[in-house]
Amino acid sequence: MMEGLKNMLVMIELELRRLRHDRTEIYTRAVQPILWIVIYGPVMSSVRAIPTGGVPYTDFITPGVMIQTTTFVSIFYGLTIVWERESGILKKLLVTPASRYSMVIGRSMASGVRAIFQALIILPVAILIGVHFVPNPAYFILAFIAIFFASGGFAAISILVASFMKTRERFMGIGQAITMPLFFASNALYPLQMMPPILREFSTFNPLSYVVDAVRGLLITGDLSNIMIDLVAIAIFDAVLFTLASVSFRRIIE
Amino acid sequence: MDFAVQVNDLVKVYDGKVRALDGVDLNVDHGEAFALLGPNGAGKTTLIRILTTQLRPTAGEAYVFGLNVVSNGSKVRRLISYVPQEMSVWTDVSGCENLLIYAKIFGVPQLEREKVIDEVLENMGLAHVKNDLVKTYSGGMIRRLEIACAMLIKPKIMFLDEPTIGLDPAARKVVWERLNVFKKEYGVTIFFNTHYMDEADLYADEIAIINQGKIVTRGKSEELKHSLGGEIIAFTLEKTALKPDLVQNIQKLNFVKGVFEDGNLSVLVGDAESTLPDLMNFLKSEGASVEKVSITKPTLDDVFLKYVGTRLEEKGRISDVTHMRDMIRKG
Repeated sequence: MMEGLKNMLVMIELELRRLRHDRTEIYTRAVQPILWIVIYGPVMSSVRAIPTGGVPYTDFITPGVMIQTTTFVSIFYGLTIVWERESGILKKLLVTPASRYSMVIGRSMASGVRAIFQALIILPVAILIGVHFVPNPAYFILAFIAIFFASGGFAAISILVASFMKTRERFMGIGQAITMPLFFASNALYPLQMMPPILREFSTFNPLSYVVDAVRGLLITGDLSNIMIDLVAIAIFDAVLFTLASVSFRRIIE
Repeated sequence: MDFAVQVNDLVKVYDGKVRALDGVDLNVDHGEAFALLGPNGAGKTTLIRILTTQLRPTAGEAYVFGLNVVSNGSKVRRLISYVPQEMSVWTDVSGCENLLIYAKIFGVPQLEREKVIDEVLENMGLAHVKNDLVKTYSGGMIRRLEIACAMLIKPKIMFLDEPTIGLDPAARKVVWERLNVFKKEYGVTIFFNTHYMDEADLYADEIAIINQGKIVTRGKSEELKHSLGGEIIAFTLEKTALKPDLVQNIQKLNFVKGVFEDGNLSVLVGDAESTLPDLMNFLKSEGASVEKVSITKPTLDDVFLKYVGTRLEEKGRISDVTHMRDMIRKG
């Protein structure tokens, strides 16, 4: 158990070392969310067609856009795993004493670390554009913990997918097919109440909605009435995906 | 005493049709360098991957230091280190960081880490580039870093899948000298696949040749070569004054296995070096004077040819693998 935890930390350390050497990806991936906040937000808010409960529209979508970016980062983390499979790295890792689950959870959480940086980089832009955040450091920390764990779960989805899709091309395709529906069938850009009933049903099972709800409550509205449900949903999501990904991980090198 | 590796009637069938291993029996002694030679698709890599607990055999048993690789996998993994054929280091961090991550995974105590890492870097001639990103390394340096990773934990046995593929001869020599020192110093068993005949010949204590999923022969390099029948000593004689019954007389010597006269005089013996002086004396006593002598010994290539039926194709294979490694590096 202790050893598993230690190996997870080692995987996170590896990711931090990678980031220290090369942060280009963080910057290039920041372009898209910044466009959402800087262009899409102000334009749509002038239409005033979306009921946001009194919050300016750009403020409303800022958590959604942050989570969208971190989810993309995590879902495409599987590409790293596919690359490591094509090279011999995964083979070598699986021949070490480290357990499968510590590798899977460790790598997933490593992606969570990357996601935190990805989300942080959007904050100054949002502040510049005039988004009002709840001025409570504890809320900030809790929001980023939620992002960290949710991203870990999404990375586990990507590891799970990577163990089935063994080439990069296939993985790219399936990655898009997962992320876009998750994003559009969530409360990232509009409240769930605006969706057709069937989609609303679907979004009950959409982990993205829970993360967005938690982060929106913590960072923007200060409304924490759903926070427990959101956090429990994220915990269940992680537990299920970590288990599934660990079970299928061995397939990846066979 | 358990063998370092023991394999009984091992079978591996992929997808119910491809029979990669077809009843392999093998044992490897402690502290020995053991080479597995074979053509492409003979099952070398499959065997290594089963022994390193990556694949489950379809039938049969495999043990590493007496531990079953299937039922005792996690214990096996504590004793071994492994260098896959493909590139197996992170290219976006430094060489030193790669070693640090592995040192932590293997639980090398914090106080020893730095010393151990510096030691293997020094060993593999990478100390001067330890803080450079691996993506700036040459192919040979990457291979040496991979071997350094495997040395890090002083395993009881190292499994090396084509350890020096793509390295130039000088670099291969250096790598093997280090591996030999390492082997002697720590009593490490080295189990490796190779495409370089000379590598198996020079550095392996024992060699097994595998073909179509079966071990076709095994032994020390010298034994394998001797098993081909012997060595040929060819004499160029001065044409004058040859006794007509010279050939028959040589044939009668007890260490001579055969004599051919085709302009030169070729004598087939078991061991050329030890019999040459006697033969020279004999020829002198028969009044023949020797102008030139040459010894032809069977090579491992000849052994391979006999048991596998084809020569080992080094060149195409090596460029394939190095090409693939380059592709992986570039992403």
